[in-house]
Amino acid sequence: MASPASPSSVNTTGSTSQAPAEKPPTPPVNILPSQLAQTYSYAHPAILLGLGAWRFEALVADPMRELLADLPWLAALQISYVMLCLPPAGAASVEAGAAADEEKKKAPRSPSGPSVTLRPGKPGYRRKQTSGKSSWTCVWAKLMPAFLSLALTSLLATPVIAVLLVLFGAPLTTHNAETILCAAHMALLSATALVYVHGVDASVWKEVWGIARPADAVWGSALGTGLGAWFGAIPIPLDWDRPWQAFPITILTGAYIGYAVGSLVSRTPFIYGKRIQFAPEQTEEDEKKTN
Amino acid sequence: MASKAPTGSVGTGLKSPLTASAKEKETALQEAKSRQLEQEFKTKHLGILGVLLWVLLLHVAGIYFFTKGFLLTRMVLENKSSCDILPFDDVSGNAIASSGSKKGCWHDKTFDKAVVIIIDALRYDFTVPFATMDQDKAAHLFHDNIPVLYETAVNNPSNAFLLPFIADPPTTTLQRLKGLTTGTLPTFVDAGSNFAGTAIDEDNLVAQLHSAGKTLVQLGDDTWQSLFPGYFDANLTHPYDSFNVWDLHTVDNGVNEHLFPLLQPENKSKWDVIFGHYLGVDHAGHRYGPNHAAMAAKLQEMDLVIRKIIASLDDDTLLVVMGDHGMDTKGDHGGESDDEVEAALWMYSKRGVFGRTSKETLLPPKHARERFVPQIDLVPTLSLLLGMPIPFNNLGAPIEEAFAGSSGNDWSNLLAVNRLSAAQIKRYQHAYAMARGAGDDEESFALWTAAEEEWKSASKGFTSKSTAVRSSYDLYRKYQRHTLEICRGLWARFDVPSMLAGVGLLFFGISLLVVYARGMKIDRTELTSSLLSFVGAGTGLGAVTGTALVLFGFTEITTIDSSALLAAFGSMVGGLFALVKKPANLTLPLPNGMWGWLAVFFTVSQSLGYASNSYTIWEDEILLFFLTTFGVCAGISSMRQKSTTDRVLGVYHSILFVILGRVASFSRLCREEQMPFCRSTYYASSTSSISAPWQLAIPFLVALILPGVVRAFYAGSKSYEGAATLWIGFAFRLGLLITALFWVLEGADDGEWLPLRKETLKSIRVFLAQLVLALALGAGTGAFLYSKPCITISVNKPTEDPNAPPAPIIAGQQQQPRTTVTILGFGNVYGTRFFFLVVNFALAVILMQKPMGQGAIALLICQILSLLEILDTNALTLTNSPIGPIVLGLLGSFYFFKTGHQAVLSSIQWETAFIPMSTIKYPWSPLLVILNTFGAQILAAIAVPLTVLWKRPLQTQDRVSQQSSAKVANPATKLLSDVVQAASTHMLYLATINLATTMWAGHLRRHLMLYRIFSPRFMMGAVVLGVVDVVLMVFAVAGVRWSTLSVGEIFGW
Repeated sequence: MASPASPSSVNTTGSTSQAPAEKPPTPPVNILPSQLAQTYSYAHPAILLGLGAWRFEALVADPMRELLADLPWLAALQISYVMLCLPPAGAASVEAGAAADEEKKKAPRSPSGPSVTLRPGKPGYRRKQTSGKSSWTCVWAKLMPAFLSLALTSLLATPVIAVLLVLFGAPLTTHNAETILCAAHMALLSATALVYVHGVDASVWKEVWGIARPADAVWGSALGTGLGAWFGAIPIPLDWDRPWQAFPITILTGAYIGYAVGSLVSRTPFIYGKRIQFAPEQTEEDEKKTN
Repeated sequence: MASKAPTGSVGTGLKSPLTASAKEKETALQEAKSRQLEQEFKTKHLGILGVLLWVLLLHVAGIYFFTKGFLLTRMVLENKSSCDILPFDDVSGNAIASSGSKKGCWHDKTFDKAVVIIIDALRYDFTVPFATMDQDKAAHLFHDNIPVLYETAVNNPSNAFLLPFIADPPTTTLQRLKGLTTGTLPTFVDAGSNFAGTAIDEDNLVAQLHSAGKTLVQLGDDTWQSLFPGYFDANLTHPYDSFNVWDLHTVDNGVNEHLFPLLQPENKSKWDVIFGHYLGVDHAGHRYGPNHAAMAAKLQEMDLVIRKIIASLDDDTLLVVMGDHGMDTKGDHGGESDDEVEAALWMYSKRGVFGRTSKETLLPPKHARERFVPQIDLVPTLSLLLGMPIPFNNLGAPIEEAFAGSSGNDWSNLLAVNRLSAAQIKRYQHAYAMARGAGDDEESFALWTAAEEEWKSASKGFTSKSTAVRSSYDLYRKYQRHTLEICRGLWARFDVPSMLAGVGLLFFGISLLVVYARGMKIDRTELTSSLLSFVGAGTGLGAVTGTALVLFGFTEITTIDSSALLAAFGSMVGGLFALVKKPANLTLPLPNGMWGWLAVFFTVSQSLGYASNSYTIWEDEILLFFLTTFGVCAGISSMRQKSTTDRVLGVYHSILFVILGRVASFSRLCREEQMPFCRSTYYASSTSSISAPWQLAIPFLVALILPGVVRAFYAGSKSYEGAATLWIGFAFRLGLLITALFWVLEGADDGEWLPLRKETLKSIRVFLAQLVLALALGAGTGAFLYSKPCITISVNKPTEDPNAPPAPIIAGQQQQPRTTVTILGFGNVYGTRFFFLVVNFALAVILMQKPMGQGAIALLICQILSLLEILDTNALTLTNSPIGPIVLGLLGSFYFFKTGHQAVLSSIQWETAFIPMSTIKYPWSPLLVILNTFGAQILAAIAVPLTVLWKRPLQTQDRVSQQSSAKVANPATKLLSDVVQAASTHMLYLATINLATTMWAGHLRRHLMLYRIFSPRFMMGAVVLGVVDVVLMVFAVAGVRWSTLSVGEIFGW
């Protein structure tokens, strides 16, 4: 066995010794501390679910039209959510750097980043909003990444997810519009916030492709979208002859539910900041010792 | 990953400056040690084969006990009807019942002679004018080609009638002939005997005719000969081989040749009943599918034949034409879909004796589901028309049209015949109930009594139109149909204790396999001897106890069953004891990490899915979903790898794996239940069973690309050396090219492109196919047994080259000219050597597939190779992760569907038995069909050892340390232990699938879809488990012996 250094070990040992070339791992992202952001960050998944439930019948009746008609609304909702509740890409790294500086002084292993921290026992300390600038600049600073994320989501994430859907068995010769629309919805759910918060930071995206991000609202909802869509495929083959078993409906329903659940669950103290362990590296080594 | 270096350098310079004698001594010592290690390896290898054999026997025992209880059985009563004894209890029968009269036995005979023509697979919709329905807008090629039956029935209703004739599944010819002559329902246990027919010992129409002294003639399908040996006139009878489905004309021409002379007036006294069995329509269906010009031509030919028979028929002869079953949209049969059971029945006589009881029934039904008659109704009808007693076991009822009289109101005749057949059914039911030790059914008894009452009042009136006659007739019919329903239910009688015993054996077996495959911390080969001796002791003890139990009368079951059951359980108890007696060796067999959980998830969720008919129907899509899930997880895991090479290679192969699977998924053969959401692509069209012309390009593409792909994977570890160049670059490619040529000739035969005689083409094809098989399995096996590993050793003798790689310096020596040996292919020496076996079998399996299936198998090989690379880059080969063998299991199942199969009996491609042979030969023909059907699973099973051998670093005994410590573990036994763990994990997957399908089939035994979905899936699971167990033991794990020996020969032990 060659160097079984795990990605998880990066989490604990930090950037100091191991790989000097690698940047420090990007910490979990927090919802902005303002009252509005906090409240809306909880309301947003609920609103999405509520809207989904409300439009479900229309979706079953005519999936194509409904999905197309919903697309701008979903985009608007997602954009307003990220702008209201999340730190934009550039700011995050600046703040993270600053926070990391402060952190070094304070405690070596506390979760870094612009944290209002939902973890108990940590004082909700955090600098005030990047003040001193006019509110216009502030909005502008958020608008740019928002549109960037929208563009990347529609141009990159949608095709990637559509290809994935086809690889998982979505029809290739028929239902193309449904596949693309489904992919567009899933991309808006999962990728908008990721791009908004992380930009095109290669190290973060490497973590994303490796499902190795620490749990936070952004990552949780993205992962939840994917898992939900996966589980959403399960009822399709059943012979219940229900109209809602048609191709994209269950997958999208699963994706929406997964989004909401992932977004909420990943913020709970028990989950927050944890990474998915893939291979049991520790236990493996243990076994070797015992053998 | 360790030892990724494609080249290795081993310094073979002198280790120490010893004297000559000491050197010799050391060499001799090492050789002895090496021989000892080799011997140890061979012994332990035999040991694990023994363990695998035990597991195989356990599986066979479990499947046997379940099958015994599950597949329906019916008691065969020996009673025969006789002319002298009427079926009534009382002797108050009509005057016609007087025995010995010339007019007939139980009833006045209508005809002296009969010509019974069976056109195999004559589906009802072939015979009636094409009626537009919503889905089919245009007539197919099989429509409106045999109009004679319909025309006569419409134009001369009193001379002929045409009715849908519904078969009882299984719709195989042998089963149908049994039903058509005995009048009983088939039970599932007979379904397997189609390849070797057995004589009918029940009372039947043929036996009755024979014992009445009639001269019987049989022409055509030789299945009759095995069912009724010795009943037919030896001089006039001409049977023909029935299984050569590629031959459309021999049987039919033979029947014609011998039938028409017999119909000439001068020969009429030579025979009484002729049974003619035409197979052309059935063979055209099997070979081309119904919607093909060959089918149209065949039906037109049959039309002419029937017209010719009509022309030479006399007044006293009855002509019956019928299909014994239908065919599905591809022309196959065996199951119970509508198309398969809907045959046609047509009776004709020059004397106008047939009638219709009402105006609505004047025309033949447009569709097969209107006014149909069960096929068993033929038995009482023919018996009474010919003045024979109704066979004892008959459950059918006389067909109304045959007895209603030409004006359609001969109610007294109808009443008489129905009373006779009802009484016979009652007598049979009573005898059956007595034999079973049970009482008569109350409801049918009430029906019978009511019918008798009505009959008594009617017989006083003696007016044929009286309502009492009609109502009595109706009651008798009701009684007959009711009894039929009861019997259908009754013979769905399952032996639940035996089923439970089977499930228990399978479950216990799986638990042991879980412990053995996943819960052992120590080297499995160390366990072998104690395991086998405990198993042996348990077996012996169990067998003796079982025999004793029977001898002392504690149990009713047979000695063999009892001792086999207890021996199996005893061996498992012994095995369990051997496995767990040292708890320190055990670890909790829980999944370890994401991969372990994923493996468990795939297996368990698939097993649960078999409870639902939907998931069973859509299994192919679900397997694609799982495989893609695995590929995505592999990609994710690869992204986490530290080394850039691992990451890039892993992601590349993950993407490749997923895309290959999706490409393969375009090869589909839809089962009936998947309609209309599925489009078959395996054949030229959904109503055909030949390949489209463009598909003939696939074998050439495979020949062009596949060897190159394999070569690329070899080249990745610089292993395309030695025997690999010859075997993969030349022999494999040559075999694939010949295969492609074979299929071109096949297409030329189908499409008549070449000006060659069919026989010439056939013999060329057979020769080519045998050549490929000889290359794959003959030469291939030889090459596998004797070839060297895929390495090239180049020896450099540098004359003090200053740039030479620094050799390890051992203190005190050095300074001698060192020989540097460069070994190409060092990094994957075990894997590439063993992969030859996969190549050999791939060639044989590809030959046995239709062109589309060849493409699928080629994709399977690529996916297996990608999987191996994924396992390697994610460090899953040496950690004994279960995911490799499990994904191979998924791949095997997935490609089963992608090679044109489904979990239904009718998708078995019987005709592939004729690829390398022109006649049926045992045991080769069944083996060839197995190679076609389970080719994908076989290949996956053979690749199982590769999950631990691929890029496995070479480990040999450390020569220096071995002298110091006497007991150093032999690295070869670690390899064996890993191989057997992988093999048993693969078995575990299939055994779990088998247990699940078994349990669900047993649990859902009253389900509407039992015979359509659950029972075929259970049978498939059981056969796959058996086949894969055998392949793993006899080929895969056994093959490890030779690959390891050849590596050991070069590199030492």
